[in-house]
Amino acid sequence: MTLKRLTGALLVASALTTGVASAQDESVTIGVSIPAATHGWTGGLNWHAQEAEKRIEEAYPNIDIVLVTADSPGDQASDIEDLISVQQIDALVVLPFESDPLVEPVRQAKEAGAFITVVDRGLPDTTIQDVYVAGNNTELGAVSAEYFKSRLDEGDNIVILRGIPTVIDTERFDAFMAGIEGSGINVLDNEFANWNRDDGFEVMQDFLSRFPDIDGVWAQDDDIAMGVVEAVRQAGREDEMFIVGGAGMKDVIRGIMEGDELIPVDVLYPPAMIATAMDVTVANYTSNGPVRGEYILGAPLVTPENAEQFYFPDSPF
Amino acid sequence: MSVSAHDRAKTRKGLAGFKFDLKTAGPLVALIVLCAIGFALNPAFASEGNIANILTRSAFIGIIAVGATFVITAGGIDLSVGSMAAFIAGMMILVMNAAVDTMGVSVWTVLLGCGCSVILGLGAGFINGFLTTKGKIEAFIVTLGTMGIYRSLITYFANGGTLSLDSSAREVYRPVYYESFLRIPIPVWVFIFVAIVGWVLMNRTAFGRYCMAIGSNEAVARYSAIKVDRIKTITYVLQGLCVSLATIIYVPRLGSASSATGVLWELEAIAAVIIGGTVLKGGFGRIGGTVVGALILTAIGNILNLTDIISNYLNGAVQGVIIVVAVYLQRGSFQRRRKAE
Amino acid sequence: MAGQGEPAPPVILAAKRISKAFGEVPVLFSIDFDIRPGEVHAIIGENGAGKSTLIKILSGLEQPSSGHVELDGQPIELPPDGQAGKLGIVVIHQELNLAEHLTVADSIFLGRELKQGPFLKLRQMRDEAARILDTLHVHIDPEARISTLSVADKQMVEIAKAISRDARILIMDEPTAVLSAAETKTFFEQVDRLKAKGVAIIFISHKLDEVMRLADRVTVLRDGQLIATVGTEALTPDSIAQMMVGRELSNLYPPKHEADVDADTVLAVRNLSAPGVRDVSFALRRGEILGFAGLIGSGRTAVAEAIVGLSPIESGEILHEGKPVRFSDVSQSVAAGIAYMTKDRKGKGLLLSANLKDNLTLLTLKRHYKGPFLDDKSETEALERAVRRFDIRARDPAVKVGQLSGGNQQKLMLGKMMEAEPEIIIIDEPTRGIDVGTKQQIYHIIAALASEGKSIIVISSEMQEVIGMAHRVVVMREGRIAGVLEGAEIAEAEIMRYAAGLKQGGANERLSA
Repeated sequence: MTLKRLTGALLVASALTTGVASAQDESVTIGVSIPAATHGWTGGLNWHAQEAEKRIEEAYPNIDIVLVTADSPGDQASDIEDLISVQQIDALVVLPFESDPLVEPVRQAKEAGAFITVVDRGLPDTTIQDVYVAGNNTELGAVSAEYFKSRLDEGDNIVILRGIPTVIDTERFDAFMAGIEGSGINVLDNEFANWNRDDGFEVMQDFLSRFPDIDGVWAQDDDIAMGVVEAVRQAGREDEMFIVGGAGMKDVIRGIMEGDELIPVDVLYPPAMIATAMDVTVANYTSNGPVRGEYILGAPLVTPENAEQFYFPDSPF
Repeated sequence: MSVSAHDRAKTRKGLAGFKFDLKTAGPLVALIVLCAIGFALNPAFASEGNIANILTRSAFIGIIAVGATFVITAGGIDLSVGSMAAFIAGMMILVMNAAVDTMGVSVWTVLLGCGCSVILGLGAGFINGFLTTKGKIEAFIVTLGTMGIYRSLITYFANGGTLSLDSSAREVYRPVYYESFLRIPIPVWVFIFVAIVGWVLMNRTAFGRYCMAIGSNEAVARYSAIKVDRIKTITYVLQGLCVSLATIIYVPRLGSASSATGVLWELEAIAAVIIGGTVLKGGFGRIGGTVVGALILTAIGNILNLTDIISNYLNGAVQGVIIVVAVYLQRGSFQRRRKAE
Repeated sequence: MAGQGEPAPPVILAAKRISKAFGEVPVLFSIDFDIRPGEVHAIIGENGAGKSTLIKILSGLEQPSSGHVELDGQPIELPPDGQAGKLGIVVIHQELNLAEHLTVADSIFLGRELKQGPFLKLRQMRDEAARILDTLHVHIDPEARISTLSVADKQMVEIAKAISRDARILIMDEPTAVLSAAETKTFFEQVDRLKAKGVAIIFISHKLDEVMRLADRVTVLRDGQLIATVGTEALTPDSIAQMMVGRELSNLYPPKHEADVDADTVLAVRNLSAPGVRDVSFALRRGEILGFAGLIGSGRTAVAEAIVGLSPIESGEILHEGKPVRFSDVSQSVAAGIAYMTKDRKGKGLLLSANLKDNLTLLTLKRHYKGPFLDDKSETEALERAVRRFDIRARDPAVKVGQLSGGNQQKLMLGKMMEAEPEIIIIDEPTRGIDVGTKQQIYHIIAALASEGKSIIVISSEMQEVIGMAHRVVVMREGRIAGVLEGAEIAEAEIMRYAAGLKQGGANERLSA
């Protein structure tokens, strides 16, 4: 499994000269700007960011990490301005709330001389970033589709619960539909469940009253999957179908470790990617290896065999 | 002469009666039309299971909306109910989990959680009421503030993630949401109970009359020996109690609470109240209408899930149109125009 | 009529055989009406006689069911929604229609702001407003917020607004109902000035002396019928009143029964200070009608509100049946048997959007419980009793109170207060804005209550009313008691002397009992 696929490590030389040379004796301030914990996945994101902050600051006394969270794109733009002017950051790790509105604030940070690491949601102008770390939504859809093909036959019925109408959701959905094309698996319907347990529960209740025969549910998110499970249990139709979520929530991973039949596998889209991004950024100041480029994390299938390595019992997600 | 006068009185009374009926029945008519459409689109709509789903789902918003009817009738507003529900749900889970650790699992664990919920609901409502009446701050601002406070408290206690109820406690608690009595799910019974108590309070006690008086003219109420501050505070306390009851039946559904719990419930509750014929600026409240309003809101979502003739992306638009049409029917602007012609 | 001296100018606005029905209920029957430039024409009649409907038709707010309106001799269909202002017909309503938060200049130019492109010409509007106010000889700052003005000043702003619109015909519905005597005087001067400028003025009033003073002609309506249009010189207040009610109004005020000087003091106020009240002392005896006279803003209402707990008491004491009391809200004063009836029946007295029953029982709702629930039957019976006792006339008991005439609202408010069965009754402006027939009824009700042994305080700005009703009269000025008058001292000139600050003391010294 290729966890890191280094697609471009072009400006190696300059990275070495500008970054590493100054790192050892001078103190380095790294600003980390992420969305506030408003649902499960961002909750995990915040936890992993805090954990990474503790670990890095302990390991490197000269590195100071400033973590800020935002409630909206506008909020995040202000946060970044403050990081530049007040904190005088040397590097910025940013998981943009939305891609387009944050291009200019991040560009300003770049112009102020900061090393830029973009996480998950890419900026349309890739020349701004020094490092890009991301999960792979397309692969999440494709890996899920592979699993459904392996479990189901021609003529079997599935329903899909989608997230919120955004690029992330569309990429996952399109890749999944492309993946099962030609397999003969029949998609009965898809509805948005807003990455929310309650909505997952209600949408699934309605699917259950509408369709007498469902063989599989693709929820593409673990929060939604938790709601779906309750609805299926309520209807007493656990034996009829299986459910696949996505992300890697600890409760789901534990279930898989224990051999749960209803959610047999999960597809990883780990909030811990923020820690990867922070480590890569720190490496720019501590490692003698090249750092710049794009890091696309895989979306591996979590099965009972490999589940343990993805289990973080202390994480809130 | 006297005959014609008598006849005239009779027709007028008849006309008035008819108009009154149409106005109160407006939301009900909208609900019936909606159900007919639902059935036409997918006969599964009328299945016992689906009807039970709709009723159970509307219980949360419905119970909260009954409380909101009092607040709005008395001229107030409470924006904090959604956050309050999430906060109370989180606290219940924490308390029950702690109780499981110390005293093991029993019905008492769950009752302890429920008691905690009621106390928190009453307290949170009192805070809203106290700040509005004694603090003399607009209800909109007070509850906007507490809305933010409860929402971040639940996020804080859940560490940004999800609080989950201990699985053994969950087994004891689960039937409260999933079991039925006389084929009617327990949450629906709670909803019926709250609605009846609310109706009696609004229409058969001085408290309800006072709410309407305060909402239509606070000065008149004060000059009529009504303790305005006290009544207004009680409406918020009542709202808090309704939120806690809704939470008590919500928690066993998923056994979890997070910062995503109860998002926008305040707007749904207010929408249910207004669809039902209560006036947003206060002075007139209808509990029966509120119940119908909550059912309409839930039925719309359910029907959209039962059909694929409308693009997913347009769900919000359909909901918006139906809400506006329902209120239009009930405000009877079309009746006035007809009268003018 | 015409023919003497110079010929009368041509009729500017006329109603020709106007009839109006709402649904099946006829309100006006074939009314003829006309007015000439520079003329003041009063419309009088009891509540419900059709006065308001007539002026609504004359200003385009309602369309007649039959007949038509003529402007400058031409039949015209007046545009609805107050657009008649463009034709020079301006209405000043009884409830002044001013936005409280705007400034005087904003209000005067509301809806026809002077603009430069999209921007307001603020300075020019301010100067222009100042100029208009100047021509009216009123001293109001054009930058002042409406909410800071007295009622009289608001009225003046309305008039200024009308003038700035080049009103040719000014229609006023009870313009002086809310004005004090001094303010009324200023108002009369304004009317004279407008009249001299050739403005035609139509006004509705219940005050007959005012009609006699201002009007050139008077049109009397009764039950939707035109009774007469007569030149004022041929009338006396008595003859007008008679035409209005269609019966002999022998005695407006009931005979005063002899005050019992030895009766107990039921309420004694000693050195009371409260917002708007300074060091006020007086005593109220059982079975007495105590009048409170004074100019508007002299603190009479403030005294009443402090007594019943509507405003905080700063110092002093109140003795009820000899025991000191201090009420923190109305529920306590009502429980003690002291009731206050506000002068602001629309703002503080009645719920205009509720029905008669809900209003009547609001003060005493707790009495209508049967077990844990309200008893609709008991409330309905209470309403039936009150309707009989106070002669409240409503087409239908389900009608909203806002649709009742002022007189019926007033009687309902009286009924509401009496539901509490108080022993001490404070009535603030008992007959504001109601017709003479209802006034007479209310005076008789008050006198009857006093002879039953209730003790009554009547606050009134109508001097005649205080003189006609009260056994003793307290005159207030600037928050203090200027004097207390008894017996033969109770006369208009004497009251005025105290109210205007020309005299102090009087019976005040005799109060120490």
